Amino acid sequence: MTIQEIMERAGTKDTTLVIAWIKDAVNLIQSNQNDNVTTWKENIVDGTREYAFPANLIKLRNISILDTGDNKYKKIKRLLNDPTITEDTDPE
Amino acid sequence: MSYDTHRTWYYQIVGRNIHLWQLVDSGRTDTVSGYKIFLPGEVYSKTLVYPDESITDGLRFEGTAFIKPFVTVDPNELDSGSNPTLNEPSPVDETSHVNLSRMQSLAVVDYIKAMIADSNGNLDVKEYYMKEFWQKVSDHANNRRKTSLSSVSSPFAIR
Repeated sequence: MTIQEIMERAGTKDTTLVIAWIKDAVNLIQSNQNDNVTTWKENIVDGTREYAFPANLIKLRNISILDTGDNKYKKIKRLLNDPTITEDTDPE
Repeated sequence: MSYDTHRTWYYQIVGRNIHLWQLVDSGRTDTVSGYKIFLPGEVYSKTLVYPDESITDGLRFEGTAFIKPFVTVDPNELDSGSNPTLNEPSPVDETSHVNLSRMQSLAVVDYIKAMIADSNGNLDVKEYYMKEFWQKVSDHANNRRKTSLSSVSSPFAIR
């Protein structure tokens, strides 16, 4: 369906505002359904603990780490509580 | 070399980032005849540490994303029997297609009607169209699931 068709059905002529609302609606749909699922890969660096979420990620499904032993990505679990840190070389 | 990563790695969500942790056996060790041994009398435990190795493309996120919300062709029509090739228009204008199914596009129409009602202060109308929006969004999801219900009738049921 074109933007023009959507505007005609909704009874509005403000293209810029409609485009913004369509983006909001797409975001809402993606937040609640697994409609457009994709993956992002990032290098793990020895000694670095912090990694940023991909900029265009809306809803996280899972996180995997490459098992270099059999070359497969394996889902890892989320820590529910803060770990007890005894030695932190990079305190923030 | 990483192994059993599903057992030895964990993550924690901290704002816009994740923190990766690796589970290792800790305790003071010594090497005797080429074998690493734990020293007796030392506290032995499992500990979470920062990633202990570099892995190229080692971290993989999976999730929904904001990818190509607008495309140049109708994503719901086959192109000579094949799925259409979707390209992003530049710039996005009224002739651009929304990269959603027909049912989701109809849901978007309801969403826009809800937003128009919201700007006019008609909250009842907004609520009505938002309900219609979610109804169509869930209809789209249900169209891809096949479920069946069955129930056992009692032997003395009137048939």
